[in-house]
Amino acid sequence: MLNLTIFGRIAVVIAMLQAGLVNALEVQIVDADKQPLANAAVWLQGDGFDNKRTTLDYKMEQKDKAFVPHILMVQAGTQVSFPNLDPILHHVYSFSAAKPFELKLYRDDPKQVLFDQTGVVELGCNIHDWMLGYIVVVDSPLFAVTDSSGKVSIDLGAQQASALKLNVWHERFENIDKIEQHPLSIVNNTQAITYQIKQTLVAPLQDFSDGFDDY
Amino acid sequence: MASMITKLSAALALFAIGQAGAVEISGQGQLQTTWQHDDNRKAWYQPGWGVARFGKGEPDITLSRGAIDWRVDFASAWSLHGVTQYVPDPDDKLGFTELYLQYRTLPKNGRRFIMRAGGFYPKFSIENPDIGWSSPYTYQYSAINAWIGEEVRVFGGEVAIEQPQTRRSRGQGFKGVFGVFKGNDPAGTLLAWRGFTVNDRQSVFNESLSFAAVESLNTPQLQHQAQHVEPFSEVDGRFGYYVGYHRDFSNRSEINVYWYDNNGDPSKINYRTGQYAWDTKFISAAWRYKLTPQTHILAQGMLGNTAMGVNRGVDNDFNSWFLLLTHQRDEWRFSMRGEQFKVIDKDDWQFDPNQSDGYALTATVKYRINSNWLVGGEFLRLTTTVANREAFNGKPKQSDNVWRLSAEYRFNL
Repeated sequence: MLNLTIFGRIAVVIAMLQAGLVNALEVQIVDADKQPLANAAVWLQGDGFDNKRTTLDYKMEQKDKAFVPHILMVQAGTQVSFPNLDPILHHVYSFSAAKPFELKLYRDDPKQVLFDQTGVVELGCNIHDWMLGYIVVVDSPLFAVTDSSGKVSIDLGAQQASALKLNVWHERFENIDKIEQHPLSIVNNTQAITYQIKQTLVAPLQDFSDGFDDY
Repeated sequence: MASMITKLSAALALFAIGQAGAVEISGQGQLQTTWQHDDNRKAWYQPGWGVARFGKGEPDITLSRGAIDWRVDFASAWSLHGVTQYVPDPDDKLGFTELYLQYRTLPKNGRRFIMRAGGFYPKFSIENPDIGWSSPYTYQYSAINAWIGEEVRVFGGEVAIEQPQTRRSRGQGFKGVFGVFKGNDPAGTLLAWRGFTVNDRQSVFNESLSFAAVESLNTPQLQHQAQHVEPFSEVDGRFGYYVGYHRDFSNRSEINVYWYDNNGDPSKINYRTGQYAWDTKFISAAWRYKLTPQTHILAQGMLGNTAMGVNRGVDNDFNSWFLLLTHQRDEWRFSMRGEQFKVIDKDDWQFDPNQSDGYALTATVKYRINSNWLVGGEFLRLTTTVANREAFNGKPKQSDNVWRLSAEYRFNL
């Protein structure tokens, strides 16, 4: 890039955005009532995508007696660490087929766990039963979790892609292993598409937990 | 009893040493200092006729509580739990209020198995989930839980099957509990001769608690009863038991019901210690409902009977309930509790009046300065009518106003 000042760089970025040069496919997930669905895991599968791997430092923290993030998406083959930021002990476990494991009571120690099979891993804490978190393990680098407007932006890395499969998962699926799939024949990297969930969602559980529920 | 607790501690220590692999020690501690203004009556344990702690003859400012609620986790599903507590009144005791070994599995297929062995509180109380069985709401516990803290503890084993409320169980949780125990034979003694009161004094293992010199203990029928209670001691050699059921709806509404029966043989007495085996049984039901995440209602009721002597010469029914409303706003917590309690004398020993009743209102404000410091104030208005006070000062009815300011330091192990 040219030797520009910070303002100059911002100006260039804005210009690129306006020209449509910064590209991404926008997907919006809506429920049966056409309401935007936040916290849905969205990923695209297609030829040539499954081998690309992004190596990031993935973390599932335990902070203020909660899993942070609530939903973490990773590619199969990723190591995830579980740092405990609370002053108390946690005891993380999963009975999910994709990765059954147990991290017995510990503090600080960011233990790493390898997630090598695709699927939804439901995390619990044996001390604090209301703590709930998910790791969605996918075989694609094209993934994201929807924001409060139910949207994700995924850069295809090419102007156009064909024969893609859109995958959607949400924690309120009655059967949390039942991922919804939808074929996308041709999509442009500037397109915006909307996908409506087919299955009915179970009512959300309101969180009433406080510091005294584990007694 | 002393030897029983020594054996228990030794067995638990041996178990701990035998556990291979990594060991993790954790827990929380609490040091609380209190300034109290009261009606200056000598507390029961002095012994006196007062119903408030830290009364006449005790300093206004005390180190009211010191507790370390600790656990040692082994590499397996086993853990060792204990609460080591300092109790200032009347003679600076340091002891255990709980010490037990726990086996607790992961909730595979949505259910877990829990076993506890040692000395501990069955989980009747919904009011005492804080460090060392204290209350996060008020400083002084309701009459029900004050009595449990003083006179009820089991030394034995408990098994439970629990379905925790999770997404998998659609927020529906339950727990079934069954326990068998020794000790705790004299439970009920304080109810007979002092009656219920509102306080936060928990008896440590092996403790001996005095009470006022009630006249009836000078009669031939009661001459072998000491003027103190050793609440956790074993007198009749029989096992007691309890069963409990907890129900939890999405962490929002939690109910538990317990039936406790120490299965005491009222004809048995330990002449050396002056302790009878009281046949004490009660049902307790507790409910906590979260109106909002910040505003909660707590309620508990208890109904029971306790008796001692060959022909149940002292035979009392007792009952109590409380209703507590608590609201948390940022670092503040406001709590109010109203309650009633009653002991009904059913026997025909006229020379030993045991009936008592009363009601109390408690208002508390607590403020959390940071994760280590908590300060607060409490006002307790306690009205008690105790029949055997008649012989003492001719005034069975008495009202107490107790003002309290506390500062406490909390720390993690």
